[in-house]
Amino acid sequence: MTFFTIIYRGLLRRPVRTGLTLVGISIGIAAVVTLVGISRGFEQSWAKGMTARGTDVVVSNMGSALAPKPFAAAVRDRIAAIPGVAATCSIFVDLTSVEDSSMMIVSAREWGGFSWQNLKIISGRMPNGALEPAVVLGQSAAEVLKKKIGDPIQIEARELTVVGIVDGGAMVENGSVILSLPLYQEMSGNEDKVNIIDLRAAPGASEDDVKKLCARINAAVPEVRALPAGENVGNSQAYKFISAMSWGTSLLAVIVGVLGVMNTMLMTVFERKQEICILLAIGWKRGRIIRMVLMESALLGLLGGIFGVLIGTAGVKVMERLPAIHGLLEPDLSLKLMIVSVAIAVIVGVISGLYPAWRSSRLTPSLAMQG
Amino acid sequence: MKQSLTFPESTDSAPPVYDIKGLQKEFDDGRVKALRGVDLRIEQGEFVAITGPSGCGKTTLLQMLGALDLPSAGSLLYRGESLSGMADTAAYRAKEIGIIFQAFHLLPTFTALENVQLPMFETDRPLTERRERAIELLKSVGLEHRLDHFPTKLSGGERQRVAIARSMANSPSVLLADEPTGNLDSENAHHILDLIVRVHREKNMTLVLVTHDPSIAARASRTIHMMDGHIITDTLA
Repeated sequence: MTFFTIIYRGLLRRPVRTGLTLVGISIGIAAVVTLVGISRGFEQSWAKGMTARGTDVVVSNMGSALAPKPFAAAVRDRIAAIPGVAATCSIFVDLTSVEDSSMMIVSAREWGGFSWQNLKIISGRMPNGALEPAVVLGQSAAEVLKKKIGDPIQIEARELTVVGIVDGGAMVENGSVILSLPLYQEMSGNEDKVNIIDLRAAPGASEDDVKKLCARINAAVPEVRALPAGENVGNSQAYKFISAMSWGTSLLAVIVGVLGVMNTMLMTVFERKQEICILLAIGWKRGRIIRMVLMESALLGLLGGIFGVLIGTAGVKVMERLPAIHGLLEPDLSLKLMIVSVAIAVIVGVISGLYPAWRSSRLTPSLAMQG
Repeated sequence: MKQSLTFPESTDSAPPVYDIKGLQKEFDDGRVKALRGVDLRIEQGEFVAITGPSGCGKTTLLQMLGALDLPSAGSLLYRGESLSGMADTAAYRAKEIGIIFQAFHLLPTFTALENVQLPMFETDRPLTERRERAIELLKSVGLEHRLDHFPTKLSGGERQRVAIARSMANSPSVLLADEPTGNLDSENAHHILDLIVRVHREKNMTLVLVTHDPSIAARASRTIHMMDGHIITDTLA
């Protein structure tokens, strides 16, 4: 018999209570995995979209909304003139409801700009001209909207035609409705406005060169902010808010888990008061009793963490299929997130066990003689 | 009438196992006085029975001997060292003494074999040695066929045998027994007492046994009778 045998026997003593506590902590950890996984997946999906478009720098004005604020289209010309800028492509992107889908990425791109180049036609064709009332749909967007070539699509009160279905090489691209910028500007009343400029740095530019280029752009055009591709979403107020909400909600769930484990461990200590006194009477040191309670508590956390990660992963897979999210993002179910979640659960277990362990160490061995 | 014994001087220089002077124990801020000045000296290898009515302080005295609680006043020396001043009374309990309780006090989630191994966690014995030692001890109390039984599957007599094996786990030199046959029928009580006495003799252990039963006390080499926290009589057999 090892010390670990003593630990797990302690938990098996009341299997139903241990099981219910595990459910409590698992739900907390599942919330961490689901909410944080989705919010981080949102950021990563955008970053992958940028990479697919071959964008090195994103110039935008990220305010408190998820989509950036519009600015004058002429900014593009000032930026294009900055040394180190190889190519630019103006974009107007919006997150909006399209027909039955509550949230869809509508990406209006400068006609002839490089952001069209990554789109591979799967079926149909590209729009024939800048003002043709036509859109192409990413594969997932076509699935979500249940559209095929030739179908009409209602955007901003205008009826356009789906002329092509494309593979954009990234989840965000494939979840987008893509059309030409002049057409969208005219439809939405945003003439001479864009909200993103995709930018390619000179070939061979290092990460450091890209950062320096951003600094030059930010100095020359103070009304917008240039950031290396992938960092722009993470820096938006809206994303920060979503991320904080995800962590906040998860932490609330984790706190409920902490209280559950603490309650269980306190009950365990009260119930096993005499047993602990017997162990003290037969020579166990108080430190060993404390270790026993803390390790039981940590084991509860570890098991709760593992179950929580499994439940959270399953939850994410279910949420991924929800119409509101489907095709918009790839949840971040990285090993790192899972390890962090399990580590949180173990820490929660240990913290929850501190008070019960302290209580158990205050018992006196003479109580063993009673009863 | 209080009667005191005069012990012959020890033939060697080794201090007595217990040397107690003016030992007092109070509870509830002094409202309950369990021990009211006990003087006692116990030598190596003695079998001392402590008798007396309920509430006379005999179990409290045993608790003091086992360092399960600290005295309120007086001195209690174990082989010349004060138990109150001992930095690590857990080590004293683990290595120097074995305790047998009236209600056996086996841990219900562990088998007989595992219960006997519990005190050995405070020693340096490796895993396999702990197990072998526990098997050997359970064999010595006639329970080799009950190694993997949980306490609920054992009879009262068998449980107390496991408890005796557990008390011997770390080869202590003193055995403290609190009404060890109190929860057993007369036949089992007889066998258990025989076993405790056999262990005491074979290992030359000091045995201090609390009992209500005059027939059990009669087996001891010395009987201490207590009343109201005092030793009333101290008789050699």
